[in-house]
Amino acid sequence: MDEVLAVSGLSAGYRGRAVVRGIDLSLRRGDILGLLGANGSGKSTLIRAITGQIPLLGGSVAIDGIGLAAAPERAKAGFGLAIEPHELPAPLSGRQYIELVGSIRGCGPDDLPSGDLLERLELGRWIDRSIAEYSLGTRAKVAILAALLGRPPLLIFDETLNGLDPVAAWEVKRVITALCASGRHAAIVSTHVVEAVPALCNRAVLMADGSLDRSWGAAQLAEAGRVPGAFEDSVMQALRMRAAA
Amino acid sequence: MRHDGLVLILLWRELVAGLRAMRRRDLAWIGLGGGALLAYAIADIVLGLHAAAARLRHDQLLWSLDLPLALAVLGAIAGNTVSALCLERAFAPFLKALPLAPGQRRHMAGRAILAIFVPLGVLIAVSAGLACAVIGKPLPAAWGLGAAILFALGFVTAALWRLRRPRLLFDEAVSEAAPVGRPWLRRLDRARPRWLSSWAWKLPGGHLRPSWKLAAAGLLLAIAAILGAWASLVGRTAGPAAVAGLAGGILVFMLSLRCQPLGSPVLRTAPIGFTRVWLRLVWLPLQLSLAFFLLPAGAALAAEPSAWAVPVAGGLWLLVLNGAYAVFGAYFLNAPFVAMLSFASALAYAGYETLEYGRTVLIGLAALVFFLWHRTRQRYRNG
Repeated sequence: MDEVLAVSGLSAGYRGRAVVRGIDLSLRRGDILGLLGANGSGKSTLIRAITGQIPLLGGSVAIDGIGLAAAPERAKAGFGLAIEPHELPAPLSGRQYIELVGSIRGCGPDDLPSGDLLERLELGRWIDRSIAEYSLGTRAKVAILAALLGRPPLLIFDETLNGLDPVAAWEVKRVITALCASGRHAAIVSTHVVEAVPALCNRAVLMADGSLDRSWGAAQLAEAGRVPGAFEDSVMQALRMRAAA
Repeated sequence: MRHDGLVLILLWRELVAGLRAMRRRDLAWIGLGGGALLAYAIADIVLGLHAAAARLRHDQLLWSLDLPLALAVLGAIAGNTVSALCLERAFAPFLKALPLAPGQRRHMAGRAILAIFVPLGVLIAVSAGLACAVIGKPLPAAWGLGAAILFALGFVTAALWRLRRPRLLFDEAVSEAAPVGRPWLRRLDRARPRWLSSWAWKLPGGHLRPSWKLAAAGLLLAIAAILGAWASLVGRTAGPAAVAGLAGGILVFMLSLRCQPLGSPVLRTAPIGFTRVWLRLVWLPLQLSLAFFLLPAGAALAAEPSAWAVPVAGGLWLLVLNGAYAVFGAYFLNAPFVAMLSFASALAYAGYETLEYGRTVLIGLAALVFFLWHRTRQRYRNG
């Protein structure tokens, strides 16, 4: 099956109040989707709904052909989510956290897309220390490493790339690009770093007031990527138009 | 001082935010159901006091020792809990950057403790006074005042002890940041999902840090087990050791069960079901509980071999009670103290009503456990 994520008519929110509504989204293997939007536009709520952290008020989510509502455990095996850095289990060491995730996913702690990823992310000297001692960036690296464990078909990064140092960010982007180029994976990258999107993603959507406001295809992103600042201008224009409406 | 009320404001805001986070339907259920239950309990207590008024009025031991001791202990527990709550807010990480000296933070916490104590003290005085009036004890107002003074003694002693040693609060933070040593728990904590108990118990890398709390709890439990076993062996009767084994076993389970990983997105977004995680979290505390139970149960069997059914029944009841508490622990996942208090209250209430109305009340307790299990599972799956 080519479709990794199928979201149809999704509404979700908190305490029965919809924060995102009417979301239709489909991701195929090879897609890298840039998820953009202002603070409070609903990006994190959408990701929480897709990953089964909040109840759906309407619509459906299927991951790799498996309905999230019907078979949540099987559906969750289809994605790797980079947990927000503050939500990592602080008492465990980085290695223990990786082992915990590996044991849940039924794979070894070294089942990563690249054998030397630990060194490339410069995690070697931190991995046996308690996560409580980590900086924000080091926590983000461990969260990303755990998301890649077992090479799930859908990778989800909710603003996790923002806290990385330039070398780690470059390495992670290389891994994501290589995985998706292999045709077996797709990725969602939620970010505020608008200028990074044309270089990394082949699709982008802008969220505003809880719904998908605008989308860019591969050709549009490639076109925008050729002129410095063009994509940022396009996003800002969409945001201004939305604010004026 | 300008920041004097900060701790109180923080506590108030947390309470309001907690209430707002609940659904109106749940709030209504809690308000109406809890209110009705409270009214029923008060009426039941008044009737009970009326019935036993003559005996209670003249029970010298009750008025000279039991009640004063109970009030002082209640005050100490309340003082310890309230001061821990207030100190935690005064030394909260997000307030670290503010230019407040430790003395000022203690002052803020002290003021909040005092503010919380006043209504509690009044409640104790009014309750004791009314109870005395119901049973016809002379000078009920004086007895109420005396009760409040005894409660205050326990409360203030515990609060002052806490306030003078706020460092104890940071044990947890220190243990989280401690370097990972050779973990003794490594072998026990390897079942799938690995390291779950180390995480739940906040042991850095499975490394158990010795602490005065752990030593004191271990010593008390060992004394209780030995005393129970000794009483059985001397009296040639299985009863005392079996009771010590059951009570100690459930206590060990309640003290060692921690379920906060159930609320984490690490597990909730992972391909693992609620039941599996819950059973994994319960497994090590259950082993500890049964390990404690074995010594008194063995003594009970040795003391009275013909009464083998007593320790066996004790073991079965221990499993049932541990299972029921494990549901409470999972429901109140971030508040083990509240879970213990709720479970003990539910058990005591069900036990009391069972004496009056028979075993049908136990069905109500079982229904409550199943309801909490269902809600906890739903929360794990859907938030």
